[in-house]
Amino acid sequence: MPSAAAHRADRRRDGASGQGASLRGRIAGRVGRYFESMLRRVPMGSDGVARVGARQIYILPTATGMTYGAVMLVMLLGSLNYQNNLGLLSTFFLASVAIIAMHHTWLSLLGLAAQVRGGPAVFCGETATFEITLHAEGRRARYDLRARSDDKPPPSLQIAAGDQATVKLGLRTARRGQLELDKLTLETSHPMGLFRAWCYVETDATTLVYPAPAAHAPDPSHDAGDDRRPHRHRGEGAEDYLGSRGYRPGDSPRHIDWKAFARERGLLVKEYGGDEGQDVWIQWSALRAGDTETRLSLLTRQVLDATEAGLRFGLRLPDGMEPLARGASHTQRCLKRLALFSHA
Amino acid sequence: MPERRIPAGERAKPSQVLWTTLLVIAACLPVMPHLRWQVNAFLALVFAVRLLGLRWPSAMPGRGLRILLTFAGVANCLHGYHTLAGQDGGAALFATMITLKLLELDSKRDLRLTTILVGFLIVVQFLFDESFSIAAYLGVVSLGMIALLVKLNGGLGEAGARPALRVTYRLALQALPLTLVLFVLFPRLEAPLWNLGFEREAAMTGMSDTMEPGAISELVVNGEGAFRVRFEGAPPDSGQLYWRGPVLWEMDGRRWTQGDAPHESPRPSELVAASEPIEYEVVLEPTRQRWLFALDMPVTAPSDAFITPALQVVARQPINALRRYRVRSVMSYATQAPSQEVRLLALRLPDNITPRMRALVADWGAEAQTEWQLVQRGLAFFNREAFHYTLLPPALGANPADEFLFETRAGFCEHYASAFALLMRIAGIPSRIVLGYLGGEDNDIGGYKIVRQSDAHAWVEVLIPERGWVRVDPTAAVDPSRIDRRSASRLLGANASLRFSIDETNGFARFARSMRLLADTLDATWQNWVLDFSTEDQLALLDKLGLSAFREYGLAALMMLAISLTLAVILLALSRDNPPQDALDALYARFCRKLARAGLPKHHHEGPRDYGRRVTAERPDLAGPVGRFLALYIPSRYSASASPQNLEQLRAQLRDFAPKEPGSPLSLKRSR
Repeated sequence: MPSAAAHRADRRRDGASGQGASLRGRIAGRVGRYFESMLRRVPMGSDGVARVGARQIYILPTATGMTYGAVMLVMLLGSLNYQNNLGLLSTFFLASVAIIAMHHTWLSLLGLAAQVRGGPAVFCGETATFEITLHAEGRRARYDLRARSDDKPPPSLQIAAGDQATVKLGLRTARRGQLELDKLTLETSHPMGLFRAWCYVETDATTLVYPAPAAHAPDPSHDAGDDRRPHRHRGEGAEDYLGSRGYRPGDSPRHIDWKAFARERGLLVKEYGGDEGQDVWIQWSALRAGDTETRLSLLTRQVLDATEAGLRFGLRLPDGMEPLARGASHTQRCLKRLALFSHA
Repeated sequence: MPERRIPAGERAKPSQVLWTTLLVIAACLPVMPHLRWQVNAFLALVFAVRLLGLRWPSAMPGRGLRILLTFAGVANCLHGYHTLAGQDGGAALFATMITLKLLELDSKRDLRLTTILVGFLIVVQFLFDESFSIAAYLGVVSLGMIALLVKLNGGLGEAGARPALRVTYRLALQALPLTLVLFVLFPRLEAPLWNLGFEREAAMTGMSDTMEPGAISELVVNGEGAFRVRFEGAPPDSGQLYWRGPVLWEMDGRRWTQGDAPHESPRPSELVAASEPIEYEVVLEPTRQRWLFALDMPVTAPSDAFITPALQVVARQPINALRRYRVRSVMSYATQAPSQEVRLLALRLPDNITPRMRALVADWGAEAQTEWQLVQRGLAFFNREAFHYTLLPPALGANPADEFLFETRAGFCEHYASAFALLMRIAGIPSRIVLGYLGGEDNDIGGYKIVRQSDAHAWVEVLIPERGWVRVDPTAAVDPSRIDRRSASRLLGANASLRFSIDETNGFARFARSMRLLADTLDATWQNWVLDFSTEDQLALLDKLGLSAFREYGLAALMMLAISLTLAVILLALSRDNPPQDALDALYARFCRKLARAGLPKHHHEGPRDYGRRVTAERPDLAGPVGRFLALYIPSRYSASASPQNLEQLRAQLRDFAPKEPGSPLSLKRSR
């Protein structure tokens, strides 16, 4: 059950940042953040494209490179010891090739332009995607480029000079809200795999993460104790005219009887009913669960259920509301509100 | 059998395994002739298993069997060499191990490791063979090693070997200047840091420091070069070129050894009379011994060497690498009279002197008045009696000197020298044996003399009052009509030493000899510039730059500077973002060249459209191909970027585009 797992993860995270966190953990976090802040990142230009500059490239030998170096050292010592010039010559040749290869590795990143776009919104626990467009500006072809944000080995791609390529990066989500790609790494070990050059790219791309929907949620029609008004107006809203009633905040302006208002009869609302005419209010206050995230996941489930049932629904949260409406874009607005909800 | 768990992306592909295997086989091939047959058989077995395993993966040995094979391989090396250290044993062990690794190429990591270890295998081979051809071959192998690493890294997009080879070619070309700088300026060691016991092995051919029947004959059939000599002035006559090596004093009845060589301290000048010295430079192949060969008699020793009382030039360290040295010698000389102790040493006789030997010498002693007359008497004996010179002497029994003198009477220099020295000692004339080389072949192409192992020789020195030690060559006394040239020519072919005077009227033999001299010249150049490049050359270079005062530090500083400069130039060239010409421009330039050859050069003011119009008007037969080319070229040129498909199409069109000149293709007249 992915949503439950996500919740557990969230609770763990909340706990860690709270009082329960050990001193060691906090120090480790602080030290980690300090070093993070020391890292050079590739800044994003005004056109939203990050171009890799010379001073933002890190390069270190790989395990293969270390082996290569060790074998070179043995070759050098042996040739020196036995005063074997041919041995020295081949050692120097292979070492020079490695040094040249190191510069090739570095140059494969230099001047690369990266642009990151967030992907479509996902529910928490699903994989969020980011779309990274790499552009080999200039006249150098790029090989063995990899974009990663975690330890998973990404596929490598090559770009002809002047060409561009797009790669999708999947990111597991553990919490709702705007997911930022906080650590995008571009790396290459072209041409010999002896060195790995990488850089951290700064992006402002985000992907929206909705709360994970609960498996089951109470039917919003059920009166949850808030008795100011019923949350479900069976018979209100659609085709057949049923009569008029007094205006209440939240009513659609389209349903206001403007003619009556003009006749100074006050704000009246025309009530309609029909086959689909079911309005539902999905409300924060209607739920009793104590935990914010649990409530949000229940609300998400309710929004999804209502959408599936084709109901007209509105959403009320402590920090705002979505009026009654129907349709995909309305559902998305509601989910976005739930995703970005923050309890003041 | 539990195998290692490897993620899918890191698993070795069969094609990669095949290429790695082929690379290892290619790298092992040159070292195999230097290994024992058991080791070679084992290597071949493992190669076969590996290649069969590619075809039938189930045939690959499992982990247990691999461990068993590893033990078998080590045991095999131990059995062949009795040691795993030293050059031969070490090389055999390393070749065995890298070959066994081929059976365990599961992940890319294994492939990379094996590929990198090939570099070490290359260096190991240079301890065995430093010829130009081997170096060129191993150069190709190391390119293969780089290409395989590039291919294993992947990310090149296209399949096949071509992109990896292209990258390799560029890397190698860019690495060359840096390689050169490092090679010329990297400080060398003047003496080895450690020694893995080379002396214990007799892998090298070269002068031994003992003499018994058969010792030199082994050398005499070896046509390899021993050393090369370049004289400052005119070289002396070939017959006078006695290259002096070890001096032997002690005979145990069968074998001559140095014995208790006199330990008198070397005096500045052993010679009491000398002619004008001649100076020459010798490039000696590694012998793993300390003898530096010099003409009779050396007067100045090169640095790092000294002259012994017996006038041998001896290096302080064994010659493990090519050694170049300058010596001065005098061709006519008289040595000081040695001490009584040395006289006694040079008169000591083994206990197997037979009465008939004593009788023979007694006869001569009766006739001769002086020691020198007695020596002449002995030489006359070898000349008059039916002594034969042959490289295939009959076997000798327990008392070789006696049997040779009175029964077989056939042998070569060592038999003659040994017998003569003994006879002189019986007569009371102190004598000693000198081993070395005689003569040398002129190489007019290279301007030097080459002395081969087959020129190995042994002669005698006798102590004559007033003259000191005098060289006597009993072999030369043999009647020339009794020299067995057939055996020499059969054993040596074109490599036979000149003293056998093998008939060279045959045109092919002459051609073969001159080809051999040319090859040797190339080899000498290779030696001079690559193999023999040493600290001395580096210091000479520093001297030219006026930095000689700084010595090693100057060299190191110069190296750092040169590396930085070279790298800076390479980097500058690399980071220039544009290749020399855009692909599309290059295609258009080729198109114009083809038309220009057909007599329709482009005018400077013409754009492609105008040019096309003019060509079509002048040569309606070309309208088709020219129109098609331009119809594709113009939009590609003026759009933002040409698509690869368009480029490919243009290239294909250009390949088929072969405009002929108007009229007959044979016509030489140009229309313009």
